[in-house]
Amino acid sequence: MSLSQRLGSQNLAEAPVHLIAGRDPVSIRFGDQLIAVLPRLRRFARGLTGSAVEADDLVQAACERALARQHQFQEGTRFDSWMFRIVQTIWIDQVRSRDVRKEGGEVAEDRMGSDEAVRRVEARLALGEVRRAVDRLPPDQRTALLLVTVDGLSYKETAEIVGVPVGTIMSRLARARIALQQQLESGGGMRRSTDNANAQ
Amino acid sequence: MQMRSDDRLIAYLDGEVDVSERREIEAWLDSDPAARDKLAALAQSAALVRSAFDEVMHEPLPDRLIAAARGERVSAEPSAKIVPLRRGPGTGKAPAARSWWLGLPLAASLFGLLLGGSVAYLSVAKLLPGGIGGKQPAVEMAAADNLWLDNAVGYFKLAASAGDGALVDVPATGDAREAWQKISQSLPQEVRWPDLNLKPWGLNFRGARLVVADGRPAAQLMYTTDNKAIGPLTLIIGSSKEPDTPPTLARRQDVNLLYWRHQGRAYALVGQTDVGYLWGIANDVAWQLDAI
Repeated sequence: MSLSQRLGSQNLAEAPVHLIAGRDPVSIRFGDQLIAVLPRLRRFARGLTGSAVEADDLVQAACERALARQHQFQEGTRFDSWMFRIVQTIWIDQVRSRDVRKEGGEVAEDRMGSDEAVRRVEARLALGEVRRAVDRLPPDQRTALLLVTVDGLSYKETAEIVGVPVGTIMSRLARARIALQQQLESGGGMRRSTDNANAQ
Repeated sequence: MQMRSDDRLIAYLDGEVDVSERREIEAWLDSDPAARDKLAALAQSAALVRSAFDEVMHEPLPDRLIAAARGERVSAEPSAKIVPLRRGPGTGKAPAARSWWLGLPLAASLFGLLLGGSVAYLSVAKLLPGGIGGKQPAVEMAAADNLWLDNAVGYFKLAASAGDGALVDVPATGDAREAWQKISQSLPQEVRWPDLNLKPWGLNFRGARLVVADGRPAAQLMYTTDNKAIGPLTLIIGSSKEPDTPPTLARRQDVNLLYWRHQGRAYALVGQTDVGYLWGIANDVAWQLDAI
């Protein structure tokens, strides 16, 4: 579990509710919980969409939906899982409505960044290759990979967020990991990315 | 269910196998070099994926997302502005752009003294709580609040942009507590030095300098860390005759602030770290100083 995972939610959840004057304590706590999980939601959304702007749009939409439906959140259940589920649901809806399902390694150019200069710089960064390889995965595999491998959730937690059996998550994850590795090896990204990661 | 070999290795890496299966897989790995190579490659690619998305976690949160999380519209809150050295008769006059001085660490000390001297003569109204998107206070009070918060941000940016070369009145060479005692003696009230090089923060005290907060002398403590998700940070501790105010979050440009007054002292914790860290660090400061 990352430092922000341990500290972010913990400290905000335990922050005295009187700390921000003039606001409804329930709303304050809910808002604080949301803010604490925002970095992880942004990372998840960035991986799903492949775009910084789209990712923040997605997280903003998720925040708005969560606030509108905060009465549906059950105390005692995991707030982060609930938010991941909202992000994932909205994203799936967007993917379906845009009909931009990407299969067979097809890459949507607009996901690579609209700014040409940024794209050129990004292309020179080896870790950018890894992000693009993730972007080429089918949506269901990408979701499993981001929740388990990047965010460190268990298979069971991921299955609950996605709403499928654990075995399905295991299968999607395995396909994602194998495909990713093959892409990185074939593109030389594994070696360069490792060098880049070591250099950081 | 009999899993495929790749599935088994991935589940093993993810810690998703039971004890008996783990032993079975480890026996397999002991006897099969190809499986060991496969496991190493899978572990490497997983680490790469995590690295590829790690930078998002270190980015400052956009204002619009913080506002959305709080159920607020993105406010037209004024960004941090340089405090004019003299106030002309027309208070609506646009303040000077501030970006020009950020790269001038050499002038920082002199600038801070001039800035502080001018602010000391301004009437500082009561600080109203409200935080991001909170109620807009009256114009004059808002101006006073902005002075205090803008100064805190300005001092932070001066320190952050100067990095290790930040000018300090008392460097934290040798015994940091001794450095703090020296600067504390310059203040009207004795204050203690919070040690943030503890627990998860690992913030190193880099020195302190005298500044002005709430129109009174204050100490700006500078902390740095190799963890860019947390530091650098500055903590301003000063004295105040204003009533106590609860810790309140504010944001100026890309900088987050948590500020409060308690029993005659004013505090401002300032940094580009996310608000979760800021709350946690403020809790430690408050606990050590009994400040909340």
